[in-house]
Amino acid sequence: MGVIRPALISALAAWCGATALASEVRLSGAGATFPAPLYTRWVSEYQREHPDVKIDYRSIGSGGGVKAITDKTVAFGASDAPLTEKEIAAMGGTDAVVQFPTVLGAVVAAYNVPGLNKPLQLTGAVLADMYLGRISSWDDPRIKELNPGVALPALAVTPAFRTDGSGTTYVFTNFLAEQSADFKGEVGTGKQVKWPLGQGGKGNEGVAAVIQQTAGSIGYIEHNYAVANKIASAAVQNKAGKFVSATVESVSLAGEGAATGMKGTVLRADAWNQPGEKAYPISAFTYVILYRNLDNIKAGADARALMAFWWWCIESGGKYATEMEYAPLSPSVRDAVAKALGQITHAGNPIPAGR
Amino acid sequence: MLRWACRLSGLVIAAMLAALILVLANSALPAIRKFGAGFITSSEWRVNEIERPLRGPDGKVVMGEDGVVMEILPPAFGALPVIYGTAATSLIALVVAVPLSLGAALFLVRVAPRLRIAGPVSFLVEFLAAIPSLAFGVWGLFVLAPMFQNSVAPLLRRILEPVPGLHWLFFEKITVAGRIIERPIPLNGRDLLTGSLILAVMILPIITSVSRDVLRSVPRIQIEGTLALGATWWQSCVAMLRYARSGLLGAVLLGLARAAGETMAVTMVIGNNNQISASPFAPAQTMASLLANEFGEATDGMHRAALLYVALILLVMSLAFNVVARKLVVGRPSHAVH
Amino acid sequence: MSLSFKESRRRTASAFMYALCAASTLAIVTVLLMVAGYLAWIGASSLSWNLLTTVPTGDVANPGGMRHAIDGTIVLVLLAAMLGVPLGVLAGIYLSEYPEEARLTGPLRFIADVLTGVPSIVVGILGYELLVVPVSRLTENSISFSGFAGAGALAFIMIPIVARTTEEMLRLVPRSYREGSLALGATRSQTIFRVVLPGAFGGITTGIVLAMGRIAGETAPLLFTALGSRLLTHDPRQPFPSLTLQIYTYATGPYPEQRRLAWAGMLVLLALLFVLNLAVRIVAARQARGRLH
Repeated sequence: MGVIRPALISALAAWCGATALASEVRLSGAGATFPAPLYTRWVSEYQREHPDVKIDYRSIGSGGGVKAITDKTVAFGASDAPLTEKEIAAMGGTDAVVQFPTVLGAVVAAYNVPGLNKPLQLTGAVLADMYLGRISSWDDPRIKELNPGVALPALAVTPAFRTDGSGTTYVFTNFLAEQSADFKGEVGTGKQVKWPLGQGGKGNEGVAAVIQQTAGSIGYIEHNYAVANKIASAAVQNKAGKFVSATVESVSLAGEGAATGMKGTVLRADAWNQPGEKAYPISAFTYVILYRNLDNIKAGADARALMAFWWWCIESGGKYATEMEYAPLSPSVRDAVAKALGQITHAGNPIPAGR
Repeated sequence: MLRWACRLSGLVIAAMLAALILVLANSALPAIRKFGAGFITSSEWRVNEIERPLRGPDGKVVMGEDGVVMEILPPAFGALPVIYGTAATSLIALVVAVPLSLGAALFLVRVAPRLRIAGPVSFLVEFLAAIPSLAFGVWGLFVLAPMFQNSVAPLLRRILEPVPGLHWLFFEKITVAGRIIERPIPLNGRDLLTGSLILAVMILPIITSVSRDVLRSVPRIQIEGTLALGATWWQSCVAMLRYARSGLLGAVLLGLARAAGETMAVTMVIGNNNQISASPFAPAQTMASLLANEFGEATDGMHRAALLYVALILLVMSLAFNVVARKLVVGRPSHAVH
Repeated sequence: MSLSFKESRRRTASAFMYALCAASTLAIVTVLLMVAGYLAWIGASSLSWNLLTTVPTGDVANPGGMRHAIDGTIVLVLLAAMLGVPLGVLAGIYLSEYPEEARLTGPLRFIADVLTGVPSIVVGILGYELLVVPVSRLTENSISFSGFAGAGALAFIMIPIVARTTEEMLRLVPRSYREGSLALGATRSQTIFRVVLPGAFGGITTGIVLAMGRIAGETAPLLFTALGSRLLTHDPRQPFPSLTLQIYTYATGPYPEQRRLAWAGMLVLLALLFVLNLAVRIVAARQARGRLH
């Protein structure tokens, strides 16, 4: 005991002493899991230049992000589904809200089918019927027809889906609903829908885990989650009838066509099912949601730090996006974002761009 | 002075119970008003609105004067699937756990002391009770579920599928566009059955240790009397069980209450699908896992109120189980720590 | 002939049931060893010094450690204990030492028992409705999800447990002690503080430590209160990390390196609980023996 006690006390002292303090800025954000790997990267890269700014982004799903910013429990919210009119009203109307895209991503149809010699090709209609339960085996004639020369196993199809409110679900269901009237009528579109069958997972992380652990599963996840976890994903037929895999280029192309109408402070554009032979069909912008007057943040310095971070992301974050399979914003979209960010104030004072 | 401090602290406990009921009921009020008791019997849980062509009773699309007639399905919140999930998992868990626990309790009371292993075995059982449910969840997700997916479930299918009358175990029926299709259930290992088994493992310790205490308090004379009359070991055990039956029922109910409210472990292995399927091989959802999955993200007011309604039902249910159980195990020492 | 046949069948049945009971015990013990053994096996292979000292990096291939979560759990449990221990112990004293108020203590004891059976997820939701939403409104959103809210939810679980174990332990103190003290002219408060509480000190401490172990392993009450965080923080006004929340996030995700951390973190948690349990039991056993001699 005589030896243990001093040792314990010194260990305890070391434990407590290691905590950082000083005048650092702490900001919290919450929302979409879709861009979470990128946001986490952005935060850590930004912290290298600004060690006094700590940003805690929690990927809890787009639904959670909208809820958190509406309840003002976070500095910023993030969502892949643009705010609905009801949600904008709950935040105080169009004039009170700034919503801007940060990056484009692809929702991929990722699958776990052992022993395939080639990546699969799928159409929206076939995907819809897999989720509706009409296609119940991987050697279904309709999958075979799309994939000549691929030895498909007689393995049961397990659709994997999100259990939480999700922008990824919003994008995916909207895409499928355009391809299949039955899907639109049975499942519909939205951040959270009722799936007739399959396995639920929480967040893109959870769905990716379900796909990994389930032979015969198919799920919709952001491209980065598939690449980082070495999960195969299908080439999906686009509006022009071509089968296209998700790449930074094919997603950028989809974004270019979609983004013409971005104006004001609540920016949005639907990037799925865009024309163009090389455009990836299930592409989507992902958004950050702020209050136009940042009264959800107490200190002016904190508000300025938050805006400095987002300016940095928009201006310098593109190269990290590309590294992680996201498509950076095109110059014209960046201009629209800059205009929207310029409108932001704190306690009535404008916040200058940059730092 | 001390009396008042103590009395006040005592009243805090009463206030806690009151807060639980009042706060949940108050927040659930919009859903209670809107759905009433029908909430419990409605099986549709859908957050989004659906607009679709109206179909007649024949399954055909109804045509109006200006083309197809559309129907709009507003969001629907019905708790039947999660109530079913909770009931089914808890019952299966009890069926598995109760015989094992009673057997072990008898062993601990009648045999272990003579072998001088009552202490270590009791310690193990109580440590099992102290293991966080998250640990069981992690174990269930990475050990039990893959085992079921890869060996147990396929084996069961091979054995049971040819048996007449067991077809429903391995097939599910889905309605698409007015037509019912039947498809084989993929055996993923994350389903109602796995959830139930994890629950069974988790309620073993509480039922075992409470039953052990109940059996221990059976007067010795009861056992010695039967033995003197020439009863076998087992017959005297039966006499013991019969003598202690109300206390044992209390032990079982405590296990049931724990099973019904268990969250993390179940969420990780049950597949999280708000559906009612006859087959235990289909994914399901319990009240607790629904709350863990959706409460954090519920933006819509009615969605949140409906979740709070579910929480209220879960609370009232487990309170009821506990009240009855405690009444049955009257005079027993507290099992609070288990 | 038929009688002895019946007799032998009776004995066989008994032996069979005896074996079944032994098998049940064996099965339960085996399950425990399987769970704990598997966690220990995989956890130990992932354990490293970095786990205890570093914080998440944000890089999924090289995710860093769980220092923030370990600290978070320690702080949450201590905060919860600061609220839960005094309230629980005082309530326990009330239940045991004021028999003349049985009209109140009877129902309170029952309520405390029933509260120990409330599902922890429901406690988490109450925590959100009672500690997150109103506090967020009152502080104009500068505090919302917080370590305080998480600790409050944990204290909610802790109070009835501590109250009931305190009561049980106080009841073990012989009546004659109290009577002697009162006969010597001590007041009731003096008797409780100088005679009864010291007599039950060991047992009450055991109960408190076990209750702390129990809340250290809770996840569901923290989901919507402390919320979790990737940052090292000791400021309970912030969203707060905990070992259980971090393990849950990592275990349900797809990244192998994070899963290894989940295993290792679980091992740390289990080891902590195991040592707590063992220590408490050894101390309790020693005290019981001491009392006999």
